[in-house]
Amino acid sequence: MSSSRTNRRAPRTRHPDRTLDLVFGALASTTRRHILERLARGPATVGELAEPFRISSPAITRHLKVLEAAGFLTRTVEGRVHSCMLDASPIATMDVWLTQCRQHWEETLDSLEVFAAAAREENPEK
Amino acid sequence: MKPELGVGPDDNSVLRIRRNIRATPEFLFNAWTTPEALLKWWGPRGVRCTAAEVDLQVGGAYRLANQLPDGQTVWISGVFEQVEKFRLLVFTWQVEAAGVIQKNKERVTVTFQPDRVNSAVTEVCIVHERIGDGATRATHETGWEGCLDGLEVLAERGAEIFSEPVPDH
Repeated sequence: MSSSRTNRRAPRTRHPDRTLDLVFGALASTTRRHILERLARGPATVGELAEPFRISSPAITRHLKVLEAAGFLTRTVEGRVHSCMLDASPIATMDVWLTQCRQHWEETLDSLEVFAAAAREENPEK
Repeated sequence: MKPELGVGPDDNSVLRIRRNIRATPEFLFNAWTTPEALLKWWGPRGVRCTAAEVDLQVGGAYRLANQLPDGQTVWISGVFEQVEKFRLLVFTWQVEAAGVIQKNKERVTVTFQPDRVNSAVTEVCIVHERIGDGATRATHETGWEGCLDGLEVLAERGAEIFSEPVPDH
């Protein structure tokens, strides 16, 4: 793992559950979702990202740190310009969990339906 | 693939599943909360429920043993946060596999609503939330409810990004 702090993504050495919680936590904010939507259209400087929101610079910095910890941002520095670029791979992580969770419940409900149907056959008057 | 997410009152990311089942709310609620019934039906495809303990009250605990096709047993356990007979269950959800308990907290809400038209049909709605640990909850804002329309753009863009060759400049 490189020791350089610029142009690096957050290291993915943590437990997968923690990663997911960071991703969901990062998304649980209107401001951060808007930031991500903006970055989905292309890279932006920190100033450009802060512009639509009437919040302080430290607040934007905090939001960006949360997004970065969740793996959503790649930061680059060219001269004095600090830019952010979207890393959408956390979405894939989230998508995997959502798919698995949905499948788990759909199949569990399938089992419940089978159980209910069997009970109806045993007691036709119900 | 678009993730289907809604953001609930506590801004936890949620997954919602609905199903109409031909049974009364009473039957389905009892199926969900009675150990004898759970042993008979609980589980996704290929999973057998081999043990079930339910203390059906607020603060009461439940524990379910899920035997997987490969023979391994996974335990699901939690505590009831809300119980409204024949209507609503809210419980925490934690998985224990190979002696390791997952660290994150999840919450499941199950509602049983009689169909307005056909009284022999019940709509079962499951909401599955990730509550997160204390550290991540501190970053959650409050007060926003709605659909993540923008997230669909993000997910689509994410799919594009994965298929793009990595630029080397």
